[in-house]
Amino acid sequence: MKAAFPYPTLFGDVSFEVTAVTVDGSPLPYTHVSKAEQTVALHQTGRDKWDVAVLHIRAALPEQELADGPWTDAVCLAVLTEKATNARTSGRLTRVQDGSWQGRIELVRNNHLNRASLSLTVAATLDNLPGRVIGTAERDWFVDLKVTTPVRQREIEIVEIDFREGDLEWLRPFKEAPWIVETTGEIPTVYLNTSAVEGLVEVLHGKGGSAEEKLLREMTSSQIAQDAWTAMFHTAISDLDLDEDGTPQMPGGWREPVLQMMLPDVLPGRQLTDALFDINERRTKGFGWSELQTSVQYAAGRRSQMTKKLAVATRSVNSVARGGSQ
Amino acid sequence: MNSPDTAVNTIGLLPDAAIAKFLTRGMQTGQESPPLVALRKAAVQPEPAEARWNVEPVRELLDEAMNRFTGRPSRADAWLAPRLHATLRMTRTEAADSRRWNFLAMITAPDYVVWRHKGGEIVPAARFSGPHYTQAFSRLWWAAELFRDGYDYRPAEFACGFQDVLNTTMRLDVIDHRPTAHTILRLLEELRNANTPDLGVRVNALSSAVNAAGSTLLYDVFAPDEAPDHDAVQDWVDESASMPPVPWDRLPEAPDDGKVSERAISALLPLFTQLLEEAPLRKRGKHSSTDEEE
Repeated sequence: MKAAFPYPTLFGDVSFEVTAVTVDGSPLPYTHVSKAEQTVALHQTGRDKWDVAVLHIRAALPEQELADGPWTDAVCLAVLTEKATNARTSGRLTRVQDGSWQGRIELVRNNHLNRASLSLTVAATLDNLPGRVIGTAERDWFVDLKVTTPVRQREIEIVEIDFREGDLEWLRPFKEAPWIVETTGEIPTVYLNTSAVEGLVEVLHGKGGSAEEKLLREMTSSQIAQDAWTAMFHTAISDLDLDEDGTPQMPGGWREPVLQMMLPDVLPGRQLTDALFDINERRTKGFGWSELQTSVQYAAGRRSQMTKKLAVATRSVNSVARGGSQ
Repeated sequence: MNSPDTAVNTIGLLPDAAIAKFLTRGMQTGQESPPLVALRKAAVQPEPAEARWNVEPVRELLDEAMNRFTGRPSRADAWLAPRLHATLRMTRTEAADSRRWNFLAMITAPDYVVWRHKGGEIVPAARFSGPHYTQAFSRLWWAAELFRDGYDYRPAEFACGFQDVLNTTMRLDVIDHRPTAHTILRLLEELRNANTPDLGVRVNALSSAVNAAGSTLLYDVFAPDEAPDHDAVQDWVDESASMPPVPWDRLPEAPDDGKVSERAISALLPLFTQLLEEAPLRKRGKHSSTDEEE
């Protein structure tokens, strides 16, 4: 969402990228930094202990506009934050010869938990007031401490465990369920029960196999996905913070992308903030809550690609029944 | 498996899912004791076992707090916050693990949660397991962490004397910039010294004004924050292996990771003073006078 500023701001694009990362002095392999995904994956297999990562940043500002505009003393600042640990570190970029802005920022392991956001802000003096924000990069980078592959959209965590006799005591009561979805934590987790349906986990793991096996795998995974999306949606809207005039705030962490993806299907044609307000009204006041369930189910089905998978599955069943090859 | 003794004496990690299952209305009213056996089974032990996860020093501290502040539990916050922080020595990464706070509230000291937060009929569930600024123990630990000035806990102690700082200011992301947090406290101190009425209302007005202005003003430009010395925090955590119990009558020492620059605070002070002058003072609504008020 773009805020409206009561003073002139930059019209041109502000963009930045992480050009290199070192972890305790040694360079992070190139494959851990993705410019397309704008994500850095800090976790390296076999290297659990480290203290400080240094991110090298290069930004591109609309130089001509900056030079011609009413602003002076431009400052370009990278800010690294993580809500879970209330961490905030900043680093100033300086203008170098080729016209870009460069700088570095430190990420201290002990101050972070899962995933930090890296943003870039341009401020300048305007009408004698220093520090006016005149531009920000459109999209933050993510710096993920838990993954080895730099992808933006974090996958749901999947834990395979024996509900009946495994280490997690709280799963015992669910021992007959093939899976359950847990969304209270930092990362939504699907617990797959290794003891409820014999062979199911193996089928889910398999890659090839018979048409029936593929069918079972597809259907099960989309059913799990459906459950996960539904649970995530309900959790994401369940405890919205309100600002002073009672407007619900977009939650942080995984909840934000879930709502951004699902709200347009749950309440089509609404602005995100309006949809959020409406949902919160319905949930807290009760009216229209049950009507909403249909569209939540619809939205979750879309995310889990239920229709597509069902269509493919039905076709393959028909072709097996006709005795044809696939 | 840990021996039963270690398990009983160690602050473990209790998953959020266990709260939903075991937190009953009876516990929230304080009339029912928690199912300790089941809860302990649901918890996992921290690895490796370390002296800083001993239950005993924390329990002792909470007993002393209930003793000292009989009849005025919200007064305990300012006393307890720095002492809890200095007893439970850990990194922010560790403190962000809600399971540790769940364990304290459900197993170590449900009686404290009820004593401190039962204003009305029941203690809200979020006091047992909730966001960092709401949960009974994490709010104090984080208040001490976010408002301490290097080794000096005095600003944190001062901050915890105002429920509005804990309830409103601490929620805001802007205070993660240390000079911003300390300038708010400095201004609050000036107001208190001038015997300004309705301090709570003013804290809220100032906090939201600073937060709102933060979207168009980059406070870092006025007040750069020098990066804290992270090794100092690690040393402080490591010292916990041999640390004596925290003092009760004077403040303990926080990690010596560098103070907020005085220049940064004086650069922000005139700006925040102006923001406060221009901020509309909202009369306190009914909803805010919950269990927090005395």
